[in-house]
Amino acid sequence: MKGEVGINQLKRRDFLKAGLVFGAGASGLAAGYAAVPDAFARAVYAAKKEGMTNDNILVMIQLAGGNDGLRTVVPLADPALHDLRPKLAGPMVSQALPLNSQYGLNHNLGGIKGLWDKGKVAIVQGVGYPNPTFSHFESIRIWETGDPSRRQVDGWLGRTLATSYDSNGHPLTGCACGATDAPGALRDLQATLTVIQDQKKFGFTGGGEVEAAVGALYKGTPGIYGALFDTAIATATETMATLRTSASNYQPMADYTDKVKLVYSSKNQLAAALQLAAELIVTGTGVKLLHVTLGGFDTHYTELNRHDDLMGYLDAAVSSFYQDLSAHNMADKVLIATWSEFGRRPKENASGGTDHGAAAPLLLIGDPVYGGLYGEEPSLTSLDNTGNLKYAVDFRSVYQEILSGHLGADAAKILGSSFDRVSFLKAPVTV
Amino acid sequence: MSVAPIGEQAVAPPARTRGITRRQALAAAVATGVGVGVVRLIGGSMQQIATPRRATTTDWISPLKSESARITQLLRRTSFGYTAAHLEAAMSEGFSKTVDRMIETAPAEPPALAAANTPGGRFPIVQLQQWWIDHMLTTPTPFAERMTLFWHGHFTSDYRKAADDTFMYWQNLTWRRMATTDLRSMLMQVTTDPAMLRYLDLATSTGQNPNENYSRELMELFTMGAGNYTEDDVREGAKALAGWQLPQPDSIATVMVDKNNNLTRRLPVFSSQKTGVFNPRRSYRGSITYLGKAGQLDTQGVIDRILAQPATAPFIANKVAQHFVTARPSASYVKSLGDTFRRSKYDIKTLMRAVFTSPEFAADQSYRSLVKTPTEFMVHGARALGLASLSKLIANAGSGMGQSLFDPPDVNGWPNNESWISSNTVVERVNFVTAALAQVKGALPSPADAIHRHLDGVLSPQTAGFLNQAADDRARWFITLASPEFQLK
Repeated sequence: MKGEVGINQLKRRDFLKAGLVFGAGASGLAAGYAAVPDAFARAVYAAKKEGMTNDNILVMIQLAGGNDGLRTVVPLADPALHDLRPKLAGPMVSQALPLNSQYGLNHNLGGIKGLWDKGKVAIVQGVGYPNPTFSHFESIRIWETGDPSRRQVDGWLGRTLATSYDSNGHPLTGCACGATDAPGALRDLQATLTVIQDQKKFGFTGGGEVEAAVGALYKGTPGIYGALFDTAIATATETMATLRTSASNYQPMADYTDKVKLVYSSKNQLAAALQLAAELIVTGTGVKLLHVTLGGFDTHYTELNRHDDLMGYLDAAVSSFYQDLSAHNMADKVLIATWSEFGRRPKENASGGTDHGAAAPLLLIGDPVYGGLYGEEPSLTSLDNTGNLKYAVDFRSVYQEILSGHLGADAAKILGSSFDRVSFLKAPVTV
Repeated sequence: MSVAPIGEQAVAPPARTRGITRRQALAAAVATGVGVGVVRLIGGSMQQIATPRRATTTDWISPLKSESARITQLLRRTSFGYTAAHLEAAMSEGFSKTVDRMIETAPAEPPALAAANTPGGRFPIVQLQQWWIDHMLTTPTPFAERMTLFWHGHFTSDYRKAADDTFMYWQNLTWRRMATTDLRSMLMQVTTDPAMLRYLDLATSTGQNPNENYSRELMELFTMGAGNYTEDDVREGAKALAGWQLPQPDSIATVMVDKNNNLTRRLPVFSSQKTGVFNPRRSYRGSITYLGKAGQLDTQGVIDRILAQPATAPFIANKVAQHFVTARPSASYVKSLGDTFRRSKYDIKTLMRAVFTSPEFAADQSYRSLVKTPTEFMVHGARALGLASLSKLIANAGSGMGQSLFDPPDVNGWPNNESWISSNTVVERVNFVTAALAQVKGALPSPADAIHRHLDGVLSPQTAGFLNQAADDRARWFITLASPEFQLK
């Protein structure tokens, strides 16, 4: 019977691969690149090579909307900044938390600055890719798939799941916390993952018997969505069982709050999502790749306060998360990395905000990193022909270091190529 | 039951025979239900009427050869499901007359929302959500509501950034009134809509220092799609569009916003619905080059230039097809719909009629090829159960399924179809059914009818099996609404 289901699902998988999920051609974007199923044909995925023995964990934090790099890592001594941003530059420079004479962190990143002082923050400056697109959705797709040529349809973390881990029967290996649908970075037709919006509400209100009944009701569902339904329910019930155990074994050792000044459209509860991530990590559920999102970074207008608030929100959540992991003696295993589809235009607009930009810094946080500044801050006086910052480090260099150095995965296979190294890890697994 | 054995998948037996078979099967199914309740669905004896060979099916058998099935599919996709009365009316009219009536009937206006008079639109968003859902549940013109939801996801805005729920209320009224007009009129209205002016920042843009947000999304997401314009077009378009501002309020109210600190705020009050106003002093007066042509250009000029682009009609047609016909429309289908749309001067009625009467809509491959949006699923469930007062539950339950009205995830609106299926959302859908059934106090409508009306009697072996052994009507309704079949349209 298992074999039959496998054949069945393989057919569906082929159908999905043929383009249902990802659309085709010019209509690709609207056809649902952003449309992301969270669980794929598990049954075809029984044969898996030996999993990696490395027990490191990655937590990606998406700053959705395009995070303003110049307000995150602030150039302190460049007069050009004040010409480009007459309204925004003054306060952001005067209040910044200096890292050295040239750069400072946004003044609301005090917790992260404290980690910097302990050597636990690596900042890679000037990260981007060639011929940048200024469309949110195109650029998100590029970052998610790790492919600026836009041919790849699977996410870079999804491919990592599929090639390096056995997620069959272990749907928590890859988990999106605080979301209702799977982020593109984690998607791969050969990988299973879980999506949990709110752990407290994640369960069948009808109780265990409804849980069992629904599992059976959805088993082997026909049609093009059948495998998705089947695996979504199976994944959910397996995860519920795990969470029942982990919740009772987990005591948070930090104060997580989402009551920090909330910014409109940062609708994701980042602190709650990271607390769930911490629970999954410290209770040994086998999580490897976690993804959380904080939205609201598309600061086209009145950026001054809104971006500061977002920075404060990010700082509070990440600081609590690190503290919690540290108190549970898990901080040495966990690498936290931020990403965003692009930075913002150096020149401010009439609305007191900034339009879509290009290169920006990434933050890598945790005990595994060797703190310091990496990459190269793009020049404010030598902008590209769209008035944007030129990149110095290909974002896939950062992915490569994470994959090979932290996770011990075959980065060249996953990314399809090799890139210059950015050596921000203290003790890379493979050099 | 009605699941094809291997090899029979594409061949539908004559509709009449099959219909009778299904009805008989269903009657038998209900009659043989054994004594287990909703919470004990598993266990008990399996008494199936027909024994499908297991794991030999890959697809639903399409019943679309029969007109009645085409009608139920039409209603599922265009009107948030239906009550028994709606279905009967459509059945007696037939498919084409139903399409005509749907498209030609003017949208029924919802009752005015009193809270919209609150200064600054500072009232809880759930009131607006409930107001709309109440109308979805009771409107005599559900197609207008379905189209309003479509446009809400397409020309989307979210209440957080619009920061004035009255503006969001107006936008909803506007999309409904314009739901089946024409794209040219709509685009002008979209551009000057107060919630949109805030959401995509056109209200604060100036010709001298333009904000690109609206200019970009107008082309990328509203009309043409990425790859059909340049970055220069975004910049030049932003200049040409600058100058629109929010409407002037009729008066200003001083409202206490923080009693403890005696903090008041002066908030705008509008006596009627308004659109944005153009301030020539903030506009750009020079010549621009936009989408390949140079010259002076005003907002209508920008829109007309966009409508002259070959990418626009197929872009809209593709999106409509994905929402109403199939998750993956073929290039030739999209081209044909786009051609019809453009020839009609972007008339939305013409486009929708072409969609519903196209062979693709009735094709077997189209059967259950779309996933109901959370709102469609919940409203359909409520109407099937005859629950007209479920708007509070529906408004609150949407976010866990990924759809909170007036609060789209981003400027691309809601993704559709397969993205509605995740470990989180399927659990939330099942939980909604549990909660909705708990609100049914009296007797339930006949579940035997429901299986025909709402699931076309086309059931997976699992669904059929559970129905066969269900203890009572409540259990049968739970299975019907929680089934994968009911999530599809």
